[in-house]
Parts: sequence; structure tokens; C-alpha cells
Amino acid sequence: MQAEQCFTASGIPVKNIYTPEDTEDLDYDKDLGMAGEPPFTRGPYATMYRGQVWTIRRLSGFNTPEDSNKLYREQYELGQTGFSVAPDITTAVGVDADNPIVEYEIGHSGLPLNTIEDVEVAFDGLPIDRVTTYLAERGPITTMYFAMAEKRGIDLKQIRGTTSGCMLSWACLNIPLQPTPKGYLRYGVDFIEWCSEIAPKWNPINHDSYNPRDLGLNAYEELGLLFAAAIDYVEEEKRRGRVPLDRFVRRFSFNTAAHNDFFEEIAKLRAARRIWYKIVTDRYGIQDANCAKFRVHVQSSGSTHTAQEPYNNLVRIAYQTLAAVLGGAQSIHANGYDEAVCLPTDQSMLLAIRTEQIAALETNVTNTIDPLGGSYYIESLTNELEEKTWEYIKMIEDMGGMAQAMEDGWYHKLLRDKPIERQKKVDSGEIPIVGVNKFRSEKEPYKVPIFKPDPATSREIQAEKLRKFRAKRDKAKHAEAMKRLVDACNSDENAYPYTFEAVKAGATFGEVMKAQLDAYGEWPYPVGL
Amino acid sequence: MDKRKVKILMVKAGLEGHWAGLIVVSNALRDAGFEVIYGGNMTPAEIAATALQEDVDVVGISSLTANYMLTVPAVIKGIKERGKGDVLVILGGIIYEDDFDALKKIGVAGIFIPGTPMEEIINFVRDKTSALVK
Repeated sequence: MQAEQCFTASGIPVKNIYTPEDTEDLDYDKDLGMAGEPPFTRGPYATMYRGQVWTIRRLSGFNTPEDSNKLYREQYELGQTGFSVAPDITTAVGVDADNPIVEYEIGHSGLPLNTIEDVEVAFDGLPIDRVTTYLAERGPITTMYFAMAEKRGIDLKQIRGTTSGCMLSWACLNIPLQPTPKGYLRYGVDFIEWCSEIAPKWNPINHDSYNPRDLGLNAYEELGLLFAAAIDYVEEEKRRGRVPLDRFVRRFSFNTAAHNDFFEEIAKLRAARRIWYKIVTDRYGIQDANCAKFRVHVQSSGSTHTAQEPYNNLVRIAYQTLAAVLGGAQSIHANGYDEAVCLPTDQSMLLAIRTEQIAALETNVTNTIDPLGGSYYIESLTNELEEKTWEYIKMIEDMGGMAQAMEDGWYHKLLRDKPIERQKKVDSGEIPIVGVNKFRSEKEPYKVPIFKPDPATSREIQAEKLRKFRAKRDKAKHAEAMKRLVDACNSDENAYPYTFEAVKAGATFGEVMKAQLDAYGEWPYPVGL
Repeated sequence: MDKRKVKILMVKAGLEGHWAGLIVVSNALRDAGFEVIYGGNMTPAEIAATALQEDVDVVGISSLTANYMLTVPAVIKGIKERGKGDVLVILGGIIYEDDFDALKKIGVAGIFIPGTPMEEIINFVRDKTSALVK
């Protein structure tokens, strides 16, 4: 039996078969080009995986900097090729571990990083001069990371890695004590300007649509948000005019999800490269094509993983990983199959790394670049996604841009409605999930090994470390550095040179964040029913 | 006289950011005819105080982080200390199976893991609160 009509996950109608007619308007040089050449549809680099296979980078961290350091060392031993640090929720909120509002949170869902010493402990013995690090935070922890690197004798002009800092992902958290989106944008732009000068090879921002996608947006809505947000940052710099735009955007990096619709996800990454090229080149007139390379980290989609029959997830993750590879990702995080059950066990972490290594070494999919390029279907889908993404970008721009759309509540209304919409489709069976709403087993569920962190004492450990850290810092030097930081935050000056000085003078993460929040003003809780 | 509506406070205990499950279940319960107060993130003390102030029948807590063995007992203790022992407490999210017994012992009436059909949660709450609205 054949379904009458088929659609991609984002609702694009799919034909029974595609033919040359579907791609007859395609101009190879203008629309595709060789890999490493504009518009980069086929890949940002000329050699792609033959030159360097994607980075295996899994976001992780738990309990304390000490315990997380052990985890990072293990991951490195297993052949992970990039570090990726997930601070805990207190760090996302922007307070130190001894703040009463985070009584129950320390070391859950990430690790606490409050001081330069915490950062030193977390990276102790790790070769950060050779391996790149991703820091899932907005800037201050990176200044601590840079200070640590300087101490180790690493030239900041050469240091490589990424700070997340994107407003899209941050706003999804819906946590207290946050600045307004425009305040967030302001210090994001400060941070990019500062990095472009002192650490020009560092990716100072990772425009990240993973969280909104995982909340239920579709592929082109995901790209629309991603680029509308990136445009906001460039527009802000254009308004300021402090840093040449080519230098400002040169190290922009991106982060998307890899969802279930296999071909659509591949086409999405191809469309994204062409769109970013056009934004940089056509819209901003930046001549250096290196600035127009869409470099992307892709993570398998946690919202597709189920607590029912957890081993099914390892199949989902493998498909999603393959989509990321065929789409030409620079860095990939394959999830643990047990994500809906617990934090990853040793075995699920190993399996996730092995999933990527098997794709890289055993399947031969890396032998040729953009192997699906030229497929009537893939090219047609790439075009359709591009077109729909432009429409979505325009819609957001018509609202005044991403930060404005956030301040006006549009973004959070979207984030509230999408999960509800998706759940209704799951309840009705419109979105099939094997083992959940299709072929749900009536048998007693099988068990998988679980990992239970024990952060019960993390708060005491961290609070004690903070007490000692504060006691031994040079009080006068610290006070002076904090005063200069506060003054900078309250002026039009870039706050990051002063943040860097403050953390070197012993300022804690919470103190830096408070200076920023006091200056930019607090944004009330956005999401409600 | 019209039947009164069962009143439910839906919250995340603490600061954790994974709120999609909470909003989805809150919406489903509201659609099913319950009166839902969406509390978002609250401290255990705030949850207990709100439960009392709003005189709710049910408190629903969502957790996708491993701190529920700290926060959930604190919520229940807070509610009891305020003299409101009759509240039905339900918990949803990523909950370790080997904690189920301990949670039930301290008074958690129902535990719902990801992938639970909305109907199952709705029926559970309806069942457990049917006496209140007769």
C-alpha cells in the first residue's frame, strides 16, 4: 500500500520519485561549487574528511571539577578528539555555588565552575594546546580558561576552541537572574570583539539552534532562528563600528541538532552553508570567503530518545550521526542511548564515541565529499529548505530581529507552543515513535545499566573551596579590579578586558555575572502556560 | 451545583531548565478539565507555601536532573509542616527506578517517566481525586 501524500518532518511535500526536472534550474558553479569554494554548499573545506575527520566531542560534566576532570581524561583516552564542558545550572544562572538559591543544584546536570582554580582543576593534565575545548557558557569562564592557558605558557593568539554564548539556546533555559535579550546581546558582542583581538583563532560564539529544535521546531524554523540570531550580532557590531565586520564574523561557529528525518537533516546542513555564504557575502559585502564558511557542530537529538526500550536509541543515534556526517559536520556529539534514563554510564559513553569512530573508519562514507550532492531529491530539498529559511528569517527581521522578538515574548510563546503541538501529534500517532506509540510492548520492560551521580557533597566541597579562595585573594587588588569592571559594564566600553583582569585578580564567576546583571537589568521569567 | 474543579500546582523544584515536559503535562491536565497553576521553577519552600496559599489538591513536580531525592522530600516536608498533609504529590521526568520505593514511602503518589501517555497521567489524577469532586 502506498501513502497518498508524504511529507518531510517539516511538512515539505515529498514526491514519489525525483528526476532531472526537479533540479534543472540548478547552476553548478553558482549554487553548489566545489567543496571549500563558494557558496560552500558541498562543504566548507576542500578536503573535508580526507583532510581531517570531524571532531568527536561530547558535552559532559558532573559533580565537581575534580570528578569531571577524571571523566574528560577517560574520554580522551578513548579517542575523543575535543573537550566539551557542560557547566551546571548554577553556572548557567550566573551565581556561585554558595549562593542560597542554588542549594539543591550543585553538580547536577553539569559541573560548577566558579573560579580560575575550578577551571584549572577541570583541565588539569589535559592537552589544551593540541585539543580544542568547547565551553557551554557565555564568556566569563572563557576568560578564566584563557588565564589558565597563559599560565601554562600557551599563546592566546594560537589557542583554539569555542564559547557557546548564543542567545537562542540561553533563552530556552528560562531561568531566573537573567539579563534582557538586548543586555545578553550586548555582552555577547563585547565578547566577540574582545576575542577577535586577543584570541583570533577562538570561536567566540556558537550560534546554537539545538535547544529550540529539540523543543519541537522543524528544520527550516531551526535554521531561520539560527541565522536571524547571527544577523542580530552582526547588526549590533555594524551599529557600533568598532571591529571590521570581516574580523567580527570570521570565527562564528554554529551548532544544530540532527533529528530523525534523515535526508532532510542532510539537506538542512547543505542549505545552511549556502545561506550563511549569502548573508556574509551578499548582505554584508564581506569579500574574504573564509568568513563565509558555515562550520557546524551537530548533536543527535535528545528529544527523539525514549525511556521505553532504551537500546532503540542507539539505532536512532547512529542514523542521526550518519546524517550529520553526510551533511558535512565539522564536529559531532553522538548522545548516550540512555539519555532519557540517566546520565551516561561508562558503557553508553563508550558506545557513543564508538558510534562516531565506526562511521569514520568502517563505513567508508568519508571517502568522498558530499556524496549525496547531485541527488535529484537532496538538491531539490536543499533548495526548498533554503527558500523556507529565508522566509522565516524575514519574518523574524520584520519583528525587529531576534533579540527584539525575544523581548516581545514571541520566542517564548513559540517555545511553549511547539512541545505541546508535538505531544498532541505523538498522542494521535501522527509522529510515530517505535516502542512508545507504535508497537508498544506489554511485556515487563527490560533494564539497562544506570549511572547515578552522587553530588550530595558537591555543594559543601565547592562552598569550602570558594571560602578559601576568597580568603586568600589580594583584597585591594580584587576590589580595584571589580570596580573597574562595574564601571565598564555601566559605560559603553567593552566589558571583557576588565572581566579578564578581574578574574585574574580573583573575582569569582558569580561576582562577574552580578556586575553584568546589575548594569543590564533583569529579565523576568518568560515562559508561562 | 457544579462540581468544583480539582486544583493542581505544576512546578520544577529548583532551577533546572528542562521545562518542556512540565508545560506539556500542564497543558494536557488543563485540557482535561483540571485547574492548573503553572508555577515554573520554584524552591521547595516556595512550592509548599504556594500549595497552601492556593489550597491545591495536587502538586505535580517535574525533574530531569538527579536532585529530586533532595528537592521532593523537602517539598513534602514543607507541605506537611504547614499542616496540609492531604495534597496528592506526583512526580514526572527522568526518575531512577531504584528510587521509586523510597519516593513512594515518603508520600509520592505517582511517578511518570518520559513517554508516558498523557491519558495515563490524566486518569491517575482523576482517579485519585475523584472523591474530592463527588
